Amino acid sequence: MTSEEWQIVWFTAWVSALSTLVILPFGLALAWILARRDWLGKSIVETLVSLPLVMPPVATGLILLKLFGRRGAIGGFLHDQLNFDVIFTWRAVLLALSVMSLPLLIRSARVAFEEVNPRLEQIARTLGAGNWRVFFTITVPLAARGIVAGMILAFARALGEFGATIMVAGNIPGKTSTLSLTIFQDVQLGQDAHAFRLLGVSVVLAFAAVWFSEFLLRRRKK
Amino acid sequence: MIAVMGVWLLSLYSAYSTQITVFAAASLTDSLKEIAAAYEKQSGDKITFNLGASSTLARQIEEGAPADIFFSADEAKMDGLEKKGLIDTSTRKSRLGNSLVVVVAADSALQIQSASDLTNTSVIKIALADPKAVPAGVYAKAWLEKQQVWPAIEPKVVPTENVRAALAAVESENVEAGVVYKTDAGISRKVKVAYEVPAKDAPVISYPMAVARESKQPEAAKKFLNYLDSKEAGDIFKKFGFILRD
Amino acid sequence: MNLLLKHITLPLANFTLEVDAGIRSRVTAIFGPSGAGKTSLLDLIAGLRCAQSAFIQLDDRVLTDTAKGFFVPTHQRGIGYVPQDLALFPHLSVRQNLLYGCKSGGAADPLFSFDHVIEVLEIRSLIVRGVTELSGGEKQRVALARALLASPRLLLLDEPLASLDAPLKAKIIPYLTRIRDEFRIPMLCVTHDRFEALALADEIIVLVNGQVLQTGPVLDVFNRPANSDVAKIVSVETLQAGSIAGLNEGLATVKIRDVTLTALAPTTGAREVFVCIRGEDVILQRDAAVASSVRNRLSARIVALRTEGALVRVELDAGFPLFALITRPACIELALREGEPITALIKTPAIHLVPR
Repeated sequence: MTSEEWQIVWFTAWVSALSTLVILPFGLALAWILARRDWLGKSIVETLVSLPLVMPPVATGLILLKLFGRRGAIGGFLHDQLNFDVIFTWRAVLLALSVMSLPLLIRSARVAFEEVNPRLEQIARTLGAGNWRVFFTITVPLAARGIVAGMILAFARALGEFGATIMVAGNIPGKTSTLSLTIFQDVQLGQDAHAFRLLGVSVVLAFAAVWFSEFLLRRRKK
Repeated sequence: MIAVMGVWLLSLYSAYSTQITVFAAASLTDSLKEIAAAYEKQSGDKITFNLGASSTLARQIEEGAPADIFFSADEAKMDGLEKKGLIDTSTRKSRLGNSLVVVVAADSALQIQSASDLTNTSVIKIALADPKAVPAGVYAKAWLEKQQVWPAIEPKVVPTENVRAALAAVESENVEAGVVYKTDAGISRKVKVAYEVPAKDAPVISYPMAVARESKQPEAAKKFLNYLDSKEAGDIFKKFGFILRD
Repeated sequence: MNLLLKHITLPLANFTLEVDAGIRSRVTAIFGPSGAGKTSLLDLIAGLRCAQSAFIQLDDRVLTDTAKGFFVPTHQRGIGYVPQDLALFPHLSVRQNLLYGCKSGGAADPLFSFDHVIEVLEIRSLIVRGVTELSGGEKQRVALARALLASPRLLLLDEPLASLDAPLKAKIIPYLTRIRDEFRIPMLCVTHDRFEALALADEIIVLVNGQVLQTGPVLDVFNRPANSDVAKIVSVETLQAGSIAGLNEGLATVKIRDVTLTALAPTTGAREVFVCIRGEDVILQRDAAVASSVRNRLSARIVALRTEGALVRVELDAGFPLFALITRPACIELALREGEPITALIKTPAIHLVPR
């Protein structure tokens, strides 16, 4: 493995980790609302949240490209007002990974929250704890294993993301080259040996992540 | 039920008429489609296309993809296949040429008068077909290296999968400029040519074509290849802006 | 204290909870069969549930007023709640559970100081343990202490003794009376056990199918049920104050006025008790001399006979008012008549003693 290859592995790992952290507050909030509240149109929200899981990743990538491009609703604002570009930068990689892995976090966290006895939250309130305190001292600690399992799953998904990433970030060497994008390019260029080395790293990373997530879930069942 | 009948009829049709698959460089998309339409009327044969970066297409042929004709955007990809014995060398011809242009969005105020203008800070990102392999990108890199601005430009490069993708990036305004073929700029209304690379600065662009050795209908393929070499086809190519050589 | 519950309307699964009541006494029991809406009422008072219509005021503070759209959130109500399943936080230690509701500046009232509370409830040795290691009775005391340490102005208890076996019940009751006496917090207990209500409460609210059937001092309601529904639930025909004169080998000698009865010794050391005898457990016999296993034979005089369907309710004077329920054929066979003497037999295990 060359230093360039290690750079790609390192980039992939830290952007994936960052995306997992970025989706955490938003994902937990959504998961909690879906677990604890009911309202008209809840099923629509549930479906929207699951869409990136089911839609072709390139389709999701296309939507992101149109939204965050310089002529898009969000991208246009960012470019004109803040001189801030998303498409074809590492921020696009972060965006693609976040959107694609968010549904996995929400699924795990929602189930974890649903398993927390609401009576415990209620009694905490009678003891004087406001909503935020109840959330952070009762709900989250009791749901912790499921949440962490969800985070690991999201991280593993981010590691392997391809379709949406190539749409919005391209494959710019040194800037947006992830493991999967590089493997794809290597195959196109006929650099099979290179591709297989990176493939090995991908498998090891994914295996470790999923295995650890399953381990945590099993411990939770006890 | 109707769908099943339709599929059966279609398969009958293709059993009786010959179908030729042409793997061609992305920059040839529009011209080839027009030429193929004319040929189909004349001959009754059917032409299907697999269009993309010549590097990707060459790789697919190496892996056994069923191509009858390979129409590449540079000699190197054809040479690679010839070395592996995958083309019928007796059919190889190179008559088409092209030129490079720098394009910007149609309403852009950017002024590019030379290669070094691309190093300005107002040009933040430049779209090129992947300079590692795709012919359009390889040509562009050769030009910029010759002008000795490549090291300054390389960090700004957004490599795309093929030359049409580079064009699309400029159209969407996600990059400030792109280097594509003159023929590509010609078909898009959303971009305008900011600078035409003079022939003396640019490398020689050549589009070789050949029949694949593993073709299942080599006679039909040769027939179409000759048509591609004909005056009729040549006129269409010229219309789109390609250069014809003898 | 003064707890006003007015215009409360809450549709539940099979009926609508409707309550209009004022609670003033120190310890009030909400008494009724399971599923009568008792827990829902507690939830409403604590602010854990919203009713279709409700007005709830504690002392001078309005907590809920649906007419004005006014609602004080649970965590600002200062109402302690010990639910039936205790709801101890499993991921926190006993100490962390206890301290959860403590105000950060330390309790304003030394009465609710950490040391005082754990001393009264005798849980000092449990502090360092994990919640899952505790026994049923220990969990109960920790849950009580946790609620107290939040310095509540009112304490709600949902079936505090329901999940405990008889010896444990007897052990916990003194802690509850201690809370009543030492901390002087008004308490509202939900129970379906009439003896619990007797033991703990000053006043009782009888709640059946979401409707309040009767309220009042405990003895009044038990002795003079307002209607047959209440009587059925209360179902203790004879309720008299008595005192234990002696204990011997698991049996207690109880005196009601001048009459001595033999009953099973209660597990607490109480001397003053309520003596409860169900009408079904009183046997009437003409001949006093017949040998039988019954320890309690009382000479009584028939005061009144009243037919209730297939049964006859016999009011006797046995030195204290005693009620018996016998069948009509039996009444005719024995040729019972008002004013006549008769012997009343009561088996020892049929006499319930409830500490006062």
